[in-house]
Amino acid sequence: MPRDAAAMSEQTYYVLAALLDGPLHGHAILKRVAALTHDRVVLAVGTLYGALDRLAAHGVIVVEREEVVNGRRRRYFRITPEGSGLVAAEARRMQQAAALVTSRTLGAICAF
Amino acid sequence: MTRLERRYRAMLRFYPAGYRDAHGDELLDVLLETAEPGRTLPAARECAGLVAGGVQARVRANTRTNPWWDGLHLGLTAIMVAQAAAFLPYTGSVPIWTALSLAALLAVLRGHHLIALPLVALTGVKAFTISDGQQFFELTLLPVYPDLLTDQPLFRSTTPFAVSATYVLVAVGLIALASRRAGHVRSGWWLALVPALAWMGPEWMDRDLGYPLSLSRLILEAALLGAGVWAGYLARDPRWALGGALYLVAVSTEMAQHLSDLTGQHLGYWGLLGFMTFAAAAVPYRQRRHALD
Repeated sequence: MPRDAAAMSEQTYYVLAALLDGPLHGHAILKRVAALTHDRVVLAVGTLYGALDRLAAHGVIVVEREEVVNGRRRRYFRITPEGSGLVAAEARRMQQAAALVTSRTLGAICAF
Repeated sequence: MTRLERRYRAMLRFYPAGYRDAHGDELLDVLLETAEPGRTLPAARECAGLVAGGVQARVRANTRTNPWWDGLHLGLTAIMVAQAAAFLPYTGSVPIWTALSLAALLAVLRGHHLIALPLVALTGVKAFTISDGQQFFELTLLPVYPDLLTDQPLFRSTTPFAVSATYVLVAVGLIALASRRAGHVRSGWWLALVPALAWMGPEWMDRDLGYPLSLSRLILEAALLGAGVWAGYLARDPRWALGGALYLVAVSTEMAQHLSDLTGQHLGYWGLLGFMTFAAAAVPYRQRRHALD
């Protein structure tokens, strides 16, 4: 990974952030991501499940349990401690990056 | 079942069968729950997501075996498709050898390498003797003229060395695969490539040249190598590069026999296959943009 590059894409960040409050199934993850981003990030179902498969392969989420609803299986995904650590580290990185700009622009506005 | 559900089920066929059996209903459930009321056509962005997700799932499903042995199997399969395609237009004159060549390919596709080996040896000897103007096993009227797909006599522009070299390469590879006792299986769709590769294609080069190339073959080879580059990019896996490299060795053996006759079109074709094989080898080792990619 290039130095200082993001550890994850924006989509991955919001999927992991959606799981911080507890295990969710696919549809609930979609709704939580849309709510967290005020409908700015709306994932397609194929994209979401591709991301979930990839994250599970990396061990940052696991399948907590399965339920059968209307005769169809539904998996609940849980973020692992490693996943929580990664998303927290990404949040700090973005916070530091944002501070580089906001500290100056806010300073300039206050000097006015 | 509603019309929308039936259409989404059809879209799910982009996913491999195993994935559909395990998670198809779950995806369908979410697709239907997120659809606007009254919708009968799948949303374009959902279709794009299902196509991309399905192709990625198929690529991932193909990377569970050892990449080097599977790459060897892939390369041998591609060469054997070309070998069967060489016989196909002459089926009326040499039906046994076309059938044996197709049977060898089918055996390799099903992972029966020891069954394929004698079939490859027999067709290899026959191919060599035809290209060298000799007889083997049965009397064959030479030159062998085509019935369909091309207007060139069998092995007219191929040297006996190039013919035998590719058969020796396949035989050695099959012995190596058989020694591992691991059956590699590929889709029967590879058989559909045989007539496509045999077709001489639309007029492109002067047919009187010592070594005319087929435009349709070039397009098919470039498309397959392009798919290999993409798969290697998605999966960060070298098996498609190895398969392409083996096929390139077979093509290069042929090209090397005609060095003095090569035109700019030949060099462009050779360069394109070489570049795409190199790209397939390079993309698995590209730098990661994100740690979780």
